[in-house]
Amino acid sequence: MKDNFSDVEQRVKRYWYVDGFGELVGGGGMCLILAIYFAAQQYFGDNSLLGSLLQVSLFFVLVGGMLFVRRLINAAKLRVTYPRTGYVEYAQPMNKRLMSILSAVVGMIMAMTFIFIVRQFNRIDAMVAVSGTVMGIILYVKQVWSAKVKRFYILSAAAVLYGVALSVSGFPRGYNLGLFYGLMSLSFMVSGGLTLKRYLDENPLPTEP
Amino acid sequence: MSDELRAVTTLDRLIHEPARLLIVTILSSAVSADFLFLQRETGLTKGNLSAHLSKLEEAGYVEIEKTFKGKLPLTVCKLTSTGQKALKAYREQLQDFMNKTSQNQSRRNQ
Repeated sequence: MKDNFSDVEQRVKRYWYVDGFGELVGGGGMCLILAIYFAAQQYFGDNSLLGSLLQVSLFFVLVGGMLFVRRLINAAKLRVTYPRTGYVEYAQPMNKRLMSILSAVVGMIMAMTFIFIVRQFNRIDAMVAVSGTVMGIILYVKQVWSAKVKRFYILSAAAVLYGVALSVSGFPRGYNLGLFYGLMSLSFMVSGGLTLKRYLDENPLPTEP
Repeated sequence: MSDELRAVTTLDRLIHEPARLLIVTILSSAVSADFLFLQRETGLTKGNLSAHLSKLEEAGYVEIEKTFKGKLPLTVCKLTSTGQKALKAYREQLQDFMNKTSQNQSRRNQ
């Protein structure tokens, strides 16, 4: 038996990502919401009532999304993954969830402060550059470094690349951000879709003898 | 052999068996896992896995529950707190043994 303890533990952790639902439901869904959100905000304008309401409710949509994404992924896994390769329930202590939300809030405040400072110079669209960099770092730390899921290398690099490229593209601000999340959503869905396809090809539904 | 090294003979043999060690390590990494997942990860046959799980269940290390997730019937296995403590003690004991043997080895090399 060549496996050591941490290899086995890592493999169990990686099983969560085996089917690509994490990207499809989690990343894709969340980014799609944000893309529609910023596009709508751009359409209605910052000064309209609906535009302002959208701005205020964005935080709640994000937090709510974080809480429900796992349930959605579990529902998808229940139909597709568990009958094929088995069921695993992962620990999700409340304080860990609370820590993620708190980290997200602190991250948002730091990003806003940075944007405010950079906006004074008005040279580049800082919002999209910061969004790309923050998303890239989060993806790298959570999925590549911690869970050792190698395909997230590409997604974290893509996030930084999209963010930086769009920040100097010269497109209007709201449009830029909408485009960024749209591109990320597409990348997540392509990655998740390819992973799911490979998983389904490799793991057909077992037939009872 | 020193008494410290002789302590390895007191390792929990129920966990020390490779297949059971793999089962409890897998279960320690999650809240619970079903029979199918354990079978795929360990590469054991149904009968073999069943026998090992029964032994672990008898020792109170593993809890086995037949349940449903939606309409899907599942045999869910969970490491009990006794099992977690036993695995922790086993790992510590093994680590201790490894440290002492490598210390002895380096002393001999000097």
